[in-house]
Order: sequence, then C-alpha cells, then structure tokens
Amino acid sequence: MKISDLLKLSTDNLRRRKGRTILTLIGVVIGTCLIVVMISLGIALNQQYEELLRSYGDLTKIQIYNYTYGGGRNDNAPPVIDDAMLETFKAMPHVIAATPQYQANSLNAQLYSGKSDRYQTYFNAYGMDPASLEAMGISISSGEYLTGNENFGKNKIPVLVGENFGYSFEDTRKSYNSGKRYIYQGQLDANGNPVEPFVDISKDKMILRMTDGDENNPKTREYELVVVGVMKSDFNAGYFTDSGIVMSVSNLKHLENTYKKLVGSASTNNIQTGYNTVYIKVDDVDNVADVEEQIKDLGYNDIQSLSQIREQMQAQVQKQQFTLGGLAAVSLLVAALNIANTMTMAIYERTKEIGVMKVLGCELGKIRGMFLIESGAIGFLGGVVGVVISYIVSFIINNLQTIILLLGIQNESNDMMGGMMMGGMGVGMGGASSVIPWWLVVGAVVFATFVGLVSGIVPANKAVKISALEAIRRE
Amino acid sequence: MGLNPIVRVEHLRKVYRVGKEKVVALNDVNIGIMPGEVCCIVGASGSGKSTLLNQLAGLEKPTRGKVYIGKHEISAMTENELAKFRQAHLGFIFQSYNLLQNLTAVENVAMPLMFKGVGRKERTKLAMAQLKRMGLAKRANHKPTEMSGGQQQRVGIARAFVLKPRVIFADEPTGNLDTKTTRQVLYSMLEMAKENGTTFVMVTHEKDLAGCADRIITIQDGNVLSDIVVDDATKAKNRAAMFEGIATNSVPDEPVEAQADNASKA
Repeated sequence: MKISDLLKLSTDNLRRRKGRTILTLIGVVIGTCLIVVMISLGIALNQQYEELLRSYGDLTKIQIYNYTYGGGRNDNAPPVIDDAMLETFKAMPHVIAATPQYQANSLNAQLYSGKSDRYQTYFNAYGMDPASLEAMGISISSGEYLTGNENFGKNKIPVLVGENFGYSFEDTRKSYNSGKRYIYQGQLDANGNPVEPFVDISKDKMILRMTDGDENNPKTREYELVVVGVMKSDFNAGYFTDSGIVMSVSNLKHLENTYKKLVGSASTNNIQTGYNTVYIKVDDVDNVADVEEQIKDLGYNDIQSLSQIREQMQAQVQKQQFTLGGLAAVSLLVAALNIANTMTMAIYERTKEIGVMKVLGCELGKIRGMFLIESGAIGFLGGVVGVVISYIVSFIINNLQTIILLLGIQNESNDMMGGMMMGGMGVGMGGASSVIPWWLVVGAVVFATFVGLVSGIVPANKAVKISALEAIRRE
Repeated sequence: MGLNPIVRVEHLRKVYRVGKEKVVALNDVNIGIMPGEVCCIVGASGSGKSTLLNQLAGLEKPTRGKVYIGKHEISAMTENELAKFRQAHLGFIFQSYNLLQNLTAVENVAMPLMFKGVGRKERTKLAMAQLKRMGLAKRANHKPTEMSGGQQQRVGIARAFVLKPRVIFADEPTGNLDTKTTRQVLYSMLEMAKENGTTFVMVTHEKDLAGCADRIITIQDGNVLSDIVVDDATKAKNRAAMFEGIATNSVPDEPVEAQADNASKA
C-alpha cells in the first residue's frame, strides 16, 4: 500500500466526520495557542531585559581584574597576566579579542600643542591591543583604527583620541584663576554657539614631553603624537573614547621605559606585575558563562560581566515561563485525551470496515498507520491553526493600546486595561510584549503533531487487534 | 490440473468456549479441494459449515489440526503473513457484501489492488475492466447505498476476482438475494471462476445451488457427512435448469441501462 493512498484514506475519514474532527481540533488549537502565547510573552520579556542590559553596556565583554600589591605575591594569588597569558585568553574558544587597558602609572609626562607650547595637558593614555579595538566596541568617527604597524618615523607615535580630547588642553598664558584658562565641552559663547577647544585634534601638532625633574638642567624627551583616528564618544566602550588617548600597548610600554631611563633607576624598582585589567570579548552572549568558567579555571577570581546579571534575569523569566507554560500544557493534555476519545469512537464506528480491510489483505501496520495519520493530522492541523490564532492574539496584545484607542473606549477602562497588561506582563520598558520567533512556530506545530500521534497510539493498537471475523459478521 | 488438492485440511478441530461450556464446532475434518474446482459446503444451521470456511480462509485459528493452501500452512501463519497471503492468493465474497459505504463501486473493487501497492491509475483501470465484466460499468461511480443487493454483490464479486486469486471463498453469497438475482449472481461467479481457473469454495444451505458444484461437502455436527464429486452429466443438467433463461454468452443483466446503452450504440 502506498503512503499516498494511506494519506488519502485517513484524510477522507477525517472529512467524513467533519463535526467531530472540528470539535477535536478546537481542543488542540486552544492548547497550542495557549502554549505559544505564554512562551511568546516570556520571550518578549527576555528581549526587554536584554535591551535594558544592553543599554548598561556590552553583554559580551568580560573584565578580569588582577591587582597585585607591591612585590609580595603569595602562592595562592592568581598568575600574572602577561602577554603570554593574553594569548592564552585569545586562544580560548568563542573569544574574539582580549586586550589589557594598560595604564603606564609610573609615566609622568605632559602634552603640548600650539605656538610655543601654549596649550598643555597631562598625558594619560591607555595601551590596548590594536587588533581588539573594533571588537571592544570602539568606533571611529573619522580616520582609521590603529593597526599596530604604522610607521610615521622616529619618535612619532600613532594614537586614537577621543572626539572631545581637545577640551582637556588648558591655556598656560592665562592665570590659574582666570576662567579663560579652560574651555569646557558644551561651553557656549555670547551668541549661544559652542566654543571650539584650544586644540584642533585633527590638525594641530601634539608633542609629548617628559623630563627628569631636574629644575636647573632638565633632561627631556619628546615624541609627536600622530592622530590616526578619532574615536566616537561611547561610554559603554569606555570614557576614554570621549576624551582619552589610546595607543598600542607596546608603544605605551616603550614610552614608560624611556621615562624610567630618563629619571634613573631610583624610581624604576617597581616590578613588572602584568596587566591588572583585561577585557575579553566573546562571540555570543550565550558563551560568556562558558568563557568565564575557563578563566576561573586559570585561577582568576575577580571577573565581571553583565551576562552574570543577565543569567539571573533569565532564570527568573524562565521560572515564570515554566509556570505559565505548564498551565498551558494542561490544556494540551486535555486536548490529547480528546483526540484519543475521538479516535476510539471512530474505531468503534469503523470496526466492520477495518475487518473488511483486514480480510482483503490490508497489513496490520497499514491499519495502525491509517489511524496514526488521522490522529497526527488532527494534531498537525490543530497546531497550524493554533499558531495562526496565536499570531492574532500576539498582535492584539502588542497593539492593545492602539486598539483600545481606535475602539474609542473611555480613558478609565483604558488605564485599567493598560495597567493590567503592564502589571501582569512586566511591560513598560517599550518594545513588543509578545514575540513569536520562527522556532516557536515550528516547535508548536511539531509538538502538537506529536501529541496527536501519541494520543492515537492506544486507539490504533485497538484497531489492529480487532478480530476480522467478528468485524465482518457485525451488521 | 494437478493431482494434489489446493486446499487441504488435516484433522481439523475447532472448539469454542461459550461461558464455561465448550462447544465443538468442528470435530475432526479431513478434506481436499482440487485446483479449479467449484466446491460447495452445505449443511444445516449450526452444522459447522461456516466455521469450516473461516478455518479454510485463515480468518480463525483452529484448536487443532492443519489447513494448507497450496504448500502453505495458513493455520500457522501470523496475521501479517496472512494479510500478505490473502493479498496474493485469496479472494472473499460475503453474504452481506461488506462493501465500504463511503467508497464508490470502482473504489471498492480497486481496494485489494491498493493494499497491494498498485498505483491509482492502474488499479482504477483494472477495477473498471472487472466491473464492466460484471455489467456494472455504468454504476462504477455509485456508492453501495445507491445500488440494489444484486448489484452490490456483483461489485463484491468483481472485488474478489480483481487480483485473479488462486482461491475464492464465499460465505452464503446469495443469502440476501431473491431467486432471480441469486441465479444471475451465481452464474457470474461460476463464469468468472471458470474463466480464471479459480478454485471456488462456497458455503450455502440451498441444495439447488450446490447442485451446480463439482464437489459437494456436507457437514453435520462438526463432521464431514459426505464428500461427493458430482458427475458431469448431473452437473450439466443441474446447471441447465439453474441458468435457464440467462443468456449464456452475454454479460449479466443491467436491464434498463443495458438496453439504453445498446440502443445508443446501434
């Protein structure tokens, strides 16, 4: 017997008893619909949480703190994060980039710009892995990212600067008490226009100068900072994108070493204790916990990421979803009993037919198959219709405010309804309150079909056991 | 025709349990039916003739003894093996026709072909040919409820013959029909059996029907009372009497439509 014939027999039978099929379908439709809507509410809630978290910062970033004080390292302390350890981090699965935010704390230098070094600021730079800049969420508003391979000549150092870096310069010709010594970001002139900073970071030459501190006969070193790109101000990526300087770790270390030589060995006794802050970028939020685990295994305990908070939020939503989904599942269970009942009825009605088919040489498997297809089809159809209705319900939930407005219902009830929806579903952060992704659609239909099939097993076996002889004798 | 019987029964015993009592339906039956024979099993009500037929067809398992069809011991087969065996070698005609009510005549006839896995087009063609042979071409797309008893039984016959089985079992095939229709239906069955060389085993309680058979097995109280091979002369006489008035070479009746059909052809 061909599958197509089996399918046709089954569907013909369903069509034959339309009323009962439809009633049974409705049960499945309601069950599927409830499950889909409940899960869609949970998904929407999760998405809202995620959006909220994203506004706090990058979810896929992990921070490792590894501060060691002085030279007194004990054996239990986490290993020093050196360049080799950085490579270990980078080699971990799912890790896209790892970079320190190196701050040359012992480096004491000034930046000068303008005619006769009129404008000045303290030098304070971050040393980062040039390859990681983009991954760390730093975006460039003009120019390019650092590559680490730039060569502008002797004593010229490529840097990225924050878009408002120019405001950190002060005018050394004005007195400390004068208001004109500084220009603040957002400062307006008499006409209400923003005042430009003293230094135009994209044009003006900036000189880094360090001295040995000898007031009478100072030894100095000078470098020119070449602005390769200007960073877009984004506090999620770090405040330095607004008014800081970023250069490659190696350049910053070079500057630091130069300074140490300049001032003499007296103050160079600080041991290289590795990087104390390292950022790691992971390819996907779902892998953050995994990477964190690996880092912990290396001995680092002070790890922070937003995804830790995210997990707590998700666990909470999940609990809620399980409760709601469980309630919905009960209605699908009732639907399953309904299907089993319908199929049993159908088999009683068709006993004679089954007997005739058996006598005429229909194999048992085919008879079982026929009934399983029927119950599976009820599940499948119920699932499909249930999903369609879920979409409608979801649309209504998401547009409840608009719909109520359109219907012209009075304000009072509007507030009440709105409040109920908001309160009940944790809505209020904006965005949709019911989201139905494709996998939920597929999952719901597959699950409903499965429920149908399972409900059909017992009745189908009953059909198989019918005695052909007794069946054909029946009038 | 071979020398070995195609249907063979050895020491067949069937006991039913009714409540706490045992009812012996068949005691110790030994029979053999030769290939191509028309065999009638006769007996009074409750003699066990229907039980015997069910055993022969493998619809019930015997309490003891063996049933062979050809080389196959069908009494030892599983239900699925039996299903396959029926598909390949057996046909059935029932007293109450047992057509599926929601299928048309042609779909009913095509059903055994469907179980065998024959495609829709091919099986409809074969079923139509079979219905035409039974003079029911015009009724092909009618449901059983729209047909007379005789017509329904002819659909049943077409269904039994459509796979050209080796053996056909018929349980009181004319039991629900009037005399005239009975004769026509019997004629159709015997003609088809002869044409296809089918062994035809029929249970009946009507003596004159049995008279047309090659072999008459009489059952009484679960035992074979007699097993007679009818001689050709008697058979010819009986058949002539039985089928008097039924045109020997024509397709059986379809009175009104057939005439209209012929008229339109002429």
